[in-house]
Amino acid sequence: MAPNRHSNFCGSPLHAMDRRNFLGTAVAGAAAFAADMTQLNVLQHPALASELKKQQKRCILLWLAGGASQLETWDPKPGAPTGGPFRAIPTSVPGIHISELMPQMAKRMKHTCILRSLNTRIGDHGGGAQLMMRGRRDEPNLKYPDLGAVLARELGRRDSQVPDYVSFYFATEGRSMAPGTAGFLGSRYAPMELYTSMVPENIRRLDSINDLDHKQRAELRELLSKQFAQGRASSSLDSHNEAYQRVRGLMASDKLFDATQEPPKVRDRYGPTLFGEQVMVARRLVEAGVPFVRVARAWWDSHGQNFETHQELVPELDHVMAALLDDLQERGLLDHTLVITLAEFGRTPKINPSLGRDHFATAWSATLSGCGIQGGSVWGKTDAKGEHVVEGEVGAAELFATIYRALGINPQKNYYVGSRPVPLTEPGTKPIKAILA
Amino acid sequence: MRIQRLILTFLAFLLGPILSRADDLLSSALPIEQAVDHFIDARLQETGLQPAPPASDANFIRRLTLDLVGRIPTLEETRTFLASSNTSKRVELVDRLMHSPAFVRHQATELDTLLMKGTRGSVRPYLLVILAEKGSWDRIYRDLMLPDENDPKLKSAAEFLRQRVRDLDKLTAEVSSIFFGVNISCAQCHDHPLVADWKQDHFFGMKAFFSRTYESGGRLAERETGLVKFKTTKGVERSAQLMFLTGKVVKPDTSKAAPPKFSARAELVKLSLQPGQRDFFARAIVNRIWHRFFGYGLVMPLDQMHSENPPSHPELLNWLARDLVEHGYDLRRLIRGLVLSRAYARESRWDKGEVPRPNLFAVARVRPLTPMQLAVSLRLAVTDPQTLPPMSKPEELDKRLQGLEASAADLARSFEQPGDDFQVGVGEALLFSNGVAIEKDLLADGGDRLLNRLRRLQTDDEAIDLAMQTILGRLPRDDERKLLGNYLKQRADRPAEARRQMVWALLTSAEFRFNY
Repeated sequence: MAPNRHSNFCGSPLHAMDRRNFLGTAVAGAAAFAADMTQLNVLQHPALASELKKQQKRCILLWLAGGASQLETWDPKPGAPTGGPFRAIPTSVPGIHISELMPQMAKRMKHTCILRSLNTRIGDHGGGAQLMMRGRRDEPNLKYPDLGAVLARELGRRDSQVPDYVSFYFATEGRSMAPGTAGFLGSRYAPMELYTSMVPENIRRLDSINDLDHKQRAELRELLSKQFAQGRASSSLDSHNEAYQRVRGLMASDKLFDATQEPPKVRDRYGPTLFGEQVMVARRLVEAGVPFVRVARAWWDSHGQNFETHQELVPELDHVMAALLDDLQERGLLDHTLVITLAEFGRTPKINPSLGRDHFATAWSATLSGCGIQGGSVWGKTDAKGEHVVEGEVGAAELFATIYRALGINPQKNYYVGSRPVPLTEPGTKPIKAILA
Repeated sequence: MRIQRLILTFLAFLLGPILSRADDLLSSALPIEQAVDHFIDARLQETGLQPAPPASDANFIRRLTLDLVGRIPTLEETRTFLASSNTSKRVELVDRLMHSPAFVRHQATELDTLLMKGTRGSVRPYLLVILAEKGSWDRIYRDLMLPDENDPKLKSAAEFLRQRVRDLDKLTAEVSSIFFGVNISCAQCHDHPLVADWKQDHFFGMKAFFSRTYESGGRLAERETGLVKFKTTKGVERSAQLMFLTGKVVKPDTSKAAPPKFSARAELVKLSLQPGQRDFFARAIVNRIWHRFFGYGLVMPLDQMHSENPPSHPELLNWLARDLVEHGYDLRRLIRGLVLSRAYARESRWDKGEVPRPNLFAVARVRPLTPMQLAVSLRLAVTDPQTLPPMSKPEELDKRLQGLEASAADLARSFEQPGDDFQVGVGEALLFSNGVAIEKDLLADGGDRLLNRLRRLQTDDEAIDLAMQTILGRLPRDDERKLLGNYLKQRADRPAEARRQMVWALLTSAEFRFNY
């Protein structure tokens, strides 16, 4: 039986017009230059620069740490013995219902695809987080990069002046169990982690050196190092110099992390919460060309008092996610930005004696919105009580293949670890074509 | 069969003198370094390639000191070495460094990384004890596999198993990779798709040696019986035998059900060191040690030593493995031989066009420093060389260096352990550019610090010379002197700051970050 399909609203006229304008004003084949903006000196061409930045694909991951309940969000079962107290409400897409705790997303369903059929099998926080951030589990001799590291490599530029993988995770709950990791790609693609401060570590110049000296000291370093590099071919050596070349640009990007740079109207829209502020900063970052940002919101692990927990957390998610999608769309960025909601697993349909729900990886939900996705759609189905997937079962590998494909990346692309080819997703994994735009 | 073998033997007899590279013709009495150069040069001649010239003395002492004792040389060490006209000074340097206590400490750090990378444990305390007694590699292997937790000096060897015992698949795969140079984890779910050598039987055969191992009350224990069952890709359930990588099987001795008990792990150790079985063990460590000193293995990747991935120099690997076995798995002997070879002591610069393939060893490789090498070298580089005890008082000097090593451990945690094709992350560049610890600690200018000395030197030229020699172990070239001189001159109003910035630029230079 074919999984549920609903109408698609993807591909706004705004996007089409932008693209025409862009191709009209730029020299023929300008898109080909996008890969190397420095040579074009395109940044002096504000219109062209912003257009190129828009074309670049990027991704924001809203990480619902601890495991959000699919029943109180994307896959409600009102009336079932497992359903809990909340109702389901209709959305702007006929036939799709979500929890009443998400009225704002209900109005914006056209951007979003709900996957209701995840069966990922791993039900502990550490193992589940590893699986859902990397799309697979490590092998004894091989540590895999996570989604952020892969996208940093695939969508970022080697000499980028902005970070290419930023990860917000202020809460301490679950943080050590879901670390960002570049695995075998190495520290070049490791996340810039923000755990306690909105400003990345070591991004600001110390007062003990003035700005000109800081700059010229770096130039002196580079001159000495360049002479050394002559006649010595080594990609490690190159990476060392490239890392230092990115420092000044990154330092200049510190304003991107400054929430107060946004007009009050925009800040109000995201709301006064830390999560809201971080997601707004994530939008600033992707707008400036950062290919991947994760914003973690913790702690959804509602073994007790599941309904109170979700009554508090879901409306915040609803509000912030809706604000993000609106904001991205108004800036013409939504067609190039994929927004994901994901966790290490969902929660049991069975309500335990503490009125909680426990870990559940057998039948749970995630969402994909924006770039490359058929909005207003649902993939897969669970049974009446939400205990099993009955249609369109999806594992972590298929989810990742779909994400890669939505972002224009071949899921079977090989990386090489020594001489061993390692495809981005397990051989034979197919993306879910039906939900791709 | 027999006739074929006779014909082959006869052919080999005929061809022997022609195949001058066959290892059975190269005497095992030859010093290791000569054997190395014999085989490496023979391959270079075949390809018609002239290798890079020998590294300068300054280059050599820096490379060697980093490799043997894990730090850059001191100013006095460099000056003494450069000034010596003794023709055997390189051999003497090798022997001096290898006999210093710092050699044991560095060797322990390196082997600990090999053995414990990716775990939260360390066997370094054990390695320090055993390496100080010149313990051999087979001894270390035996102690790690069959740790004696009752011996307080040696009990930290148990960490090797303890850190892995909760995941027997991981233990099986890592023992195979570390000690035998093979990665059989692909064969866990199916016969290896690319390598005919590795069947599921191999993975589960190896796992059978560990399946009875468990942890009880914080101590390692082993059951006397226990079967590993697995399903083949065709769905057939099978019981694994105690089978080594060579296919050799141990039959459990069920008659000894009561103590003395039958230990599967002890059987693995015994079997894997037997003649005819021990090639995996000997070749794997030779290849890993070679990789450490040359930056590229004779077989790459290091855990793919199987029939379909031949070594670049098969006869050399065989020769070195045989030598290691014949000399009781003495890694010191192997290391000494490697660093005395001409192949080790080549320049790392290649300006004759296309760079030769790395497996020809025609030119030295540029190798990123390990976290400890980098951190200790930084600590030493920012120390005023005149405050170090003189070389004539080696115990005092070593004590001081030990202090620097201890204070470097924290800094070392900021750096990543390099693997093949290591990429420096921007986090490191940001740390050096704006980190408080770098500024307040490494670039401090009081007491015994280099900057304290530089601050008090009269001329910029003196400051440039001392900084270059202390940090990079060489005098500046003319263009560098000019470049640095101009930098300082432009900041004549703030000479102390200017010299601090110069030191920063040298510490963060690529030349400092790598062993070249």
